Parts: sequence; C-alpha cells; structure tokens
Amino acid sequence: MDRTATPARTWSRFKFPDSLIRYGVWLSVLVFLAYTVEYLEIPLDRLLGMLGRMGSTIANRYYPPDIDYIMDADYLEYVLETVQMAYLGALFGLLASVPLGWFGSYNMTPSRRYVYPIARLIVMGCRAVHEMIWAILFVTIIGFGMLPGVLALMFFCTGFAGKLIAEEIEAIDMGPVEAMRASGANLFQTMIFGVFPQVRVAITGIAIYTWDVSFRAATVVGFFGAGGMGWYLKRNILQIETERVAAILLSILALVLISEALSAWARARVMKMK
Amino acid sequence: MSDTLASPVKKPTVDDIINSRRQNRAAKGAFYTLLLIMVVWSIKVTIIEDTDWERIGSLGKVIAAANRFIGIDFSLFPSLIGPTLETLMIACLGTLVGVILCIPAAWFGAHNITPYKPITYPLARLMMTLSRSIHEIVWALFFVAAVGLGALAGVMALAVRSIGFIAKMSAEAIEDIDPGPVDAIRAAGGNDFQVMIYAILPQVLPQVLSVIIFEWDINIRRSAILGMVGAGGLGLVFFRQMNTFNYHGVTSVIIAILLLILLGEVLSYFARKAVI
Repeated sequence: MDRTATPARTWSRFKFPDSLIRYGVWLSVLVFLAYTVEYLEIPLDRLLGMLGRMGSTIANRYYPPDIDYIMDADYLEYVLETVQMAYLGALFGLLASVPLGWFGSYNMTPSRRYVYPIARLIVMGCRAVHEMIWAILFVTIIGFGMLPGVLALMFFCTGFAGKLIAEEIEAIDMGPVEAMRASGANLFQTMIFGVFPQVRVAITGIAIYTWDVSFRAATVVGFFGAGGMGWYLKRNILQIETERVAAILLSILALVLISEALSAWARARVMKMK
Repeated sequence: MSDTLASPVKKPTVDDIINSRRQNRAAKGAFYTLLLIMVVWSIKVTIIEDTDWERIGSLGKVIAAANRFIGIDFSLFPSLIGPTLETLMIACLGTLVGVILCIPAAWFGAHNITPYKPITYPLARLMMTLSRSIHEIVWALFFVAAVGLGALAGVMALAVRSIGFIAKMSAEAIEDIDPGPVDAIRAAGGNDFQVMIYAILPQVLPQVLSVIIFEWDINIRRSAILGMVGAGGLGLVFFRQMNTFNYHGVTSVIIAILLLILLGEVLSYFARKAVI
C-alpha cells in the first residue's frame, strides 16, 4: 500500500494506534488483576503450599470413604427423593418454559412491544437468581420439605430451558410460518403446525439436558432444607464426619455419571429419530 | 442414508411398513405411559405425602409469607458496594485460574493431541466430570476446609468448577481442527510446544474465548452465593440478612445480585462481539 516507505522500516504485527489500544487493554487487565489480588487479600504465599495441604487433608481425613453409610436404606430413600425432585422440577420448568420461550422469541412473539420484554425479563430473572437462593427463599416461604425443592428447581429449569427454547425458535425457517399465515391461520395454529414441528427434536434434546442439569442442582438444594440428599451432606459436613462426606460425594459422582450416560444415550436416540 | 442407497436392500413391502409403524407406536405408547407413571408417582411422593400442608396452611398464609419479601431496605445499599465488587472480582479471578487449570485438561482430553492415550485421555475426562458433577457449594466447603475462610476459597472453588465446561468445550474445539497446519509445523521441525502455540491455538482461540466469556458470566452468578459457606462476597451479606430476619434486606441483596448479573451480561455481550 505504502510504496514510498523507507527500506529500514521494521515490521510489527500491529500498526501504531492499534498496538497502543491492544497493549493498553492488556496492561489494564493486568493492573486490574493485581488490584483484585490486593483487594481480596489473597495470601499468595499460602497458594503454593495449598496443594500439599489439600493432598494430606484428603489422604488423612477423607480417604477411606464410609461405603456402608451410603448403602443404608434410609440414605437410598433420600437418593430416590432427589431423583424424583429433579424429575418434577425439570418437568414443571419445561412446561413453564415452552410458552415463555415462545413469547420470548423475537420472531414468533405475539407482541414485540409488551409480551417479548416481559417474557425475556422473567426468563432472565429465573436464570440470574441462583438455585440455592431460590431454595432458601422457598424454604422461608413454605417451610422445609421437598415442595420448596421442586419449586426452586422449577424456577431454575425455567430460566435454563426458556432461554435455549427461545433461541431455538428464533433460528427456525420462517417459510412454513409465512405460508400458514398467508392461508389465514391464527396464532396457535401457526405455533402448533408451523413452529412446533421444526423445534420438536431440539426441544426434546433440551428437555433431556435440563433433566441432567436439574439433577445436579437437586443434589445440593437440600443443603438449606429443601429435601433430598443435600441435607445428609450438610449434616455430615457440620458433624465433621469427613469419611461419610467422602462417601456421599462419591455417590453423587456415581449418580451424575449414570444420569450423564443415560442422557447421552437418550440424546443420541433423539438425534437418530430426526 | 447414502450407504442404504448403495447396498442392495430388499424393498420393504407395505405390510412391513405398517408393521414397523405399529411397533413404533406401541413402543412410543409404552414410553409415554412410563413417563406418566413416573410423574404421578413423583407427585404422590413429593407433593402429597412429604409436604406438611397443615403447616403451610391456606394460600393466604403463603402469600402473607411471600409478602414479607416485598420492600427494599435502602439503608443497606451503601454497605453492599464492597461485597458486590468482591463478588465480581472473585468471579474474574476464579475464571482466570480456571482457564490456567484448563490448559492441561484440554490438552490431555482432546484425543488427537493427548500425549499418551490409554492414560492421559481418561484422566482428563475424569477431571472434567469430577469438576462438573460436584456443585460449587460443595467445592467451596472443601476449599474453605483446605485454605481457610476468605476469598481464596471462593476463587479456587470457582476455578475448579469451571474446568469441566471450559476444558470440555476446548477439547471438542481442538478435536475439530484442521490438521494441515499441525503437519506443516511438524514438517518444518517444530516441537510439540511450537505445534500447540502456532498451529492449534490460533485455530481454536475464538471458540475458546467465547466459552471463557460464557463461563465468566455464569461464574458471577455462582460467586454471589459462595459467601453462604464462608467464601466471601454477596452471599455472606445475604446469609446474614436472612438469619437476622431482615427480609427487606434480603430483597436488597437480590437486587444487587441482579444488577451485577445485568452488568456481567452487558459486558459479556460486548466482549463476545469484540472476539467474533
């Protein structure tokens, strides 16, 4: 481009204003990180010894996991409750998130000015508040038990699935929808015959994924009294029964692995049907 | 599809198709019945038997209980600025440490570049599953026990929890790369390290960066609750307000969390735009 350049010019990857911005951004990120470490009072000297200490903690206190404890019938009953809670939470959340996904998709929403922002706001609110906070709120409102857990998981799953479903609906082919509209179909008819067949498989995949995520969250919502095995976990942590804690963590790991394998299998089946 | 066209298969008769459809419908019916039974059973156990309806009382009582949360404690806001900043910082540092920890996990977990497949590949996959399957609260409890109360425990909990997702997505991105540049650098005499820097990294960088931004966004959400188990940030204030029954204060903390997450969403939107 610049034919009159002197031959002594040295090559650099970024030209002047670009390079200044680039290095400036990197420098400010570094300064921010240094300030963060300073502000949070993170003991950097302890960071190095941490690994060794963690290793010895695990070896001394957590090592022989108390397997008998998790084979107990009471505990297994709580595991079953956790599965049921996760299942119901995911189901109710999905039932709520299908209409919310419809209202919150920019191309299919009934009214872009009123319904769209409201649906988006609800989904964002459900997503933004962590499932533990939902669990605590519902426990304060309706007391201990599995119902607050189901409700907390329901809100969590609504936020999770609502966004994915809305994105899925936004990505559809508008041709069938326009054809249906041109032939005089109303809102529900376009939704059921124009949109739903296009997103059916995707929604099934999302549903399976939601169940998976819901199960992971369900293992700990009991922490603050919302039912399931989280309560066992908290009790043993408070009693410093570390070997039992290790066993419970192992059982959670095993259950999550099983649910992951199941959901991978189910998703593969659904994709094959497509 | 293509192999069925290529191989000479027997053309299905009309009876075959009807039969297979009937079988399909029977299988579907059985599946839906099973689902329905599970729903009914779960509802029976969790909602009808386990719930203490006497204690909940009427709908009016529930609404009254929920009403306690309506209202904002404005006097709390000045003291929320510090914890909010702390929450944001824990999320940033946690993501950063998570990314650093991810490098070996993604390297070992991508099966085209893993150094020794029978050992390192399952090891990395195990790391990812372990990281994802244990909830951040449990990780935080573990690290509070290992490094003491404070922000460091939160940072480590978030870092370890982030490994799973970032490493999994990065490993998948690495598995999808074009092998041409790798061969070219190898042919020019580059070692493993040089191959990684000059052939693999440039190809996966945009994808990995957007995954990191996504995870950072989620980490803000997570770091807002880690304080409940003693790992610093807004969660501690939330827990304190809850325990002193200052329900309006609880609402204030939730609003602060929402504002922080909104900020994170806006920032991550611009960051993602800058990356792509």
